[in-house]
Amino acid sequence: MGEFKVHRVRFFNYIPSGIRCVAYNNQSNRLAVSRTDGTVEIYNLSANYFQEKFFPGHESRSTEALCWAEGQRLFSAGLNGEIIEYDLQALNIKYATDAFGGPIWSLTANPSGTHLLVGCEDGSVKLFQLTPDKIQFERNFDRQKNRILSLSWHPSGTHVAAGSIDYINVFDVKSGSAIHKMKVDRQYMGMSKRQCIVWGVAFLSDGTVISTDSAGKVQFWDSATGTLVKSHLIANADVQSIAVADQEDSFVVGTAEGTVFHFQLVPVASGSTEKQWVRTKPFQHHTHDVRTVAHSPTALISGGTDTHLVIRPLMEKVEVKNYDAALRKITFPHRRLISCSKKRQLLLFQFAHHLELWRLGSTVATGKNGDTLPLSKNADHLLHLKTKGPENIICSCVSPCGGWIACSTASRFFLYRLSYERDNISLKRVSKMPAFLRSAVQILFSEDSAKLFVASSQGSLHVIQLLEGGFKHLHTFQPPSGTVEAMCLLAVSPDGNWLAASGTSAGVHVYSVKHLKLHCTVPAYNFPVSAIAIAPNTNNLVIAHSDQQVFEYSIPDKQYTEWSRTVQKQGFHYLWLQRDTPITHISFHPKRPMHILLHDTYMFCIIDKSLPLPNDKTLLYNPLPPTSESDVVRRRTAHAFKISKIYKPLLFMDLLDEGTLVAVERPLDDIIAQLPPPIKKKKFGT
Amino acid sequence: MVQLRPRPSRAPAPAEAMVDEGQAASEEAELGLRLGQPSSGAAAEPLEEDEDADGEWDDEAPDELTFANAQAEAREEERRVRESARRDKALLKERRKRREELFIEQKKRKLLPDAILEQLAAAPQATVKKLPGKQKEATLQKKKECEKGSDSKKVKVQKIQSVSQNKSYVALRLKDQELRDARQQAAKAFLQQALYGPGTKRTTVNKFLSLDNKRSPVKKAAAQFLNDTWGTQRKQNAKKFKRRWMIRKMKTSKK
Repeated sequence: MGEFKVHRVRFFNYIPSGIRCVAYNNQSNRLAVSRTDGTVEIYNLSANYFQEKFFPGHESRSTEALCWAEGQRLFSAGLNGEIIEYDLQALNIKYATDAFGGPIWSLTANPSGTHLLVGCEDGSVKLFQLTPDKIQFERNFDRQKNRILSLSWHPSGTHVAAGSIDYINVFDVKSGSAIHKMKVDRQYMGMSKRQCIVWGVAFLSDGTVISTDSAGKVQFWDSATGTLVKSHLIANADVQSIAVADQEDSFVVGTAEGTVFHFQLVPVASGSTEKQWVRTKPFQHHTHDVRTVAHSPTALISGGTDTHLVIRPLMEKVEVKNYDAALRKITFPHRRLISCSKKRQLLLFQFAHHLELWRLGSTVATGKNGDTLPLSKNADHLLHLKTKGPENIICSCVSPCGGWIACSTASRFFLYRLSYERDNISLKRVSKMPAFLRSAVQILFSEDSAKLFVASSQGSLHVIQLLEGGFKHLHTFQPPSGTVEAMCLLAVSPDGNWLAASGTSAGVHVYSVKHLKLHCTVPAYNFPVSAIAIAPNTNNLVIAHSDQQVFEYSIPDKQYTEWSRTVQKQGFHYLWLQRDTPITHISFHPKRPMHILLHDTYMFCIIDKSLPLPNDKTLLYNPLPPTSESDVVRRRTAHAFKISKIYKPLLFMDLLDEGTLVAVERPLDDIIAQLPPPIKKKKFGT
Repeated sequence: MVQLRPRPSRAPAPAEAMVDEGQAASEEAELGLRLGQPSSGAAAEPLEEDEDADGEWDDEAPDELTFANAQAEAREEERRVRESARRDKALLKERRKRREELFIEQKKRKLLPDAILEQLAAAPQATVKKLPGKQKEATLQKKKECEKGSDSKKVKVQKIQSVSQNKSYVALRLKDQELRDARQQAAKAFLQQALYGPGTKRTTVNKFLSLDNKRSPVKKAAAQFLNDTWGTQRKQNAKKFKRRWMIRKMKTSKK
């Protein structure tokens, strides 16, 4: 495998934003997740929980509610008072309608999906009708005194429960009048000066309204008479979210202490027909507030301020009890936020509103395996580049020579030229970027830094030639058929002849940059692509999919390579396929064509194509055996997958030159240390 | 036998003076008359002396105060009181006016002269967009942030409909935007208050993560024992000083 000096980088101060809302779509088994910075991500739960698409955030858009409506339409509403519909094909915002009620706190769709209800700051509940391309305001319900924080439709669509401060109102949809006004106790069995905020309501088909409030209670109300039926005190802090299953036999609530409780409808005595709601399971997978929960047919999904997305399959609902039924915790991004310039040893970190350029440190010491070498020159923070405007950065890249930086937001494209004299760098912005480069999904520089490839959200691919003073638009590859459906990834061959682009449902397209036309298309696979790269010299395209399959396709021959066919025939090791996190980066060794270097969040692996492949019985993870073992044993147990789990959690790993690797780690403790304050836990003796 | 002091006999008051003062006089007369009669068999009550304390030995009749006189006097009093109140108010108003003018004068003195203000208002805002250069210091970044903030405000204020070809502007009513922002701020404040305000049982992340350390059999330090953010400015200064000192030392040692 070779010996490498590894730059262990921990100065990437990456903090993901907390999760504010989740919405589960049953038809397509997709989960929409909205974060506090306005980003909306779509996870495909059947494709190994991979993040397929995302909509970049906006500073003024503080989303408070997210919902799916009929026909796979996604809506969100927030404190800026606007209802936003997202275009899932073109990956942008279709339109934003102002609801004219002030900040919007809750949004819910009709069970039949034809109408939307919006709960506003001024206490009004507004009804919108869904038209094929827009939404139309229909009417207001009776205006209430306080802000409407939560809404829930009755499954038949005739009544609506609205939770506000100290009260829950039940509205009749047809007339719009409030039938019942149910007063919520401020404290379970007691008095309190603090107002009771009803964070979540759910309406069941038998007329029961379930409410969760800030006093830590879950209460069951009868909407026909407007009275309280049962009250459970489950937490010392707020219970902030509730989600009911489709069959209405179980629901899940999330509390501010990080606990998620599962309530189920169980018979009172075995064999009796009478049923009651019982709190069955507590789950403590979060440290901070669980602001949102969702209930899919087989799993409980929760997300909150501690930025983890936790998907807990319920054992009684899962049919096949294999690794799919394990807990999934998604913390780290499924795409690359770091790019590297190998020649100058620079790293570009992408944040929400700025970019940071760092030069790696250097050392002159040597040591043996496992030593930590002292730095003779510290890592240098060269540049802190803020982007103008409230929008988040979608993607960014630094050229391999270190002379260009490009980044894109939803409305602008920035290209900067860097020049280095001695120890100083100077930056110059290239102005007047063309409009078609805006809202790029992926940016890539060619190896010689002469060309820039930009994948735009409309599906087209632009080739720009970089000149000293500016740029020249060379060519645009239009999408051959279909539209962009998944995250677009780009890869360019080191000799600059081939460009690979994934993202359409037709498979990975390979374009010839020299002749500016489509060369071939890799056959489509039913799981989305998580990383692609083109090897030097051999021009083999290596594709990693979200279900941990790795393919190798030879571009000049237009077919899969021998090695790839062998691997597919034998299949990957079962432990390889059971990994949680997708492969986000693939790179190659310049002098060893048989090596492929790839990494995911918890391991990095060098695949040696010359060694035999492991079968299910061999040990997949076998670190370097001690030298006391004989050579024969080592040769017998050696297989193609050399996995190392020393550096984790890994955000990025790349080969800088023949003997150096760079590993960017982000320890979870460093993220947790910068989160908002959690609820106090009182432990005896502290 | 009760010994009564000889009292001046009081003629009953004339009928004209009977209105208010007369009432008092008639009361006195009644009292006098009553006291003039010996109390039948009861113990002697001490005489009340206040009625005729001053003019005891005077044989003069009390001054006759006509109603008209008294009314006039009362009106005079009221008028005087009103006048003084009005004068006070006027004085206060004068004073306030003078202070206002003084403040305006001072404020005007602080601002730039009118000519320059007009020039600035008319200047184009194309100069607002300037690229951030090399920004290593945190202070530079902060300045840029303020500039960016104020620039965006300037842009908001001066967005006007323009007929130029390449650019397009949007006409925004400032009042609407401010109202919107105010409501959004109020909503955010409510959320912050409800989740993190007083009354919520929140604790710091450090304390939260250190609970396990405190409960373990071997007690360990807190999760964030060291505060790296303490004294960053002092540490930076120290680093710079050290560098300069080293360079000076090397120069002198070379010589």
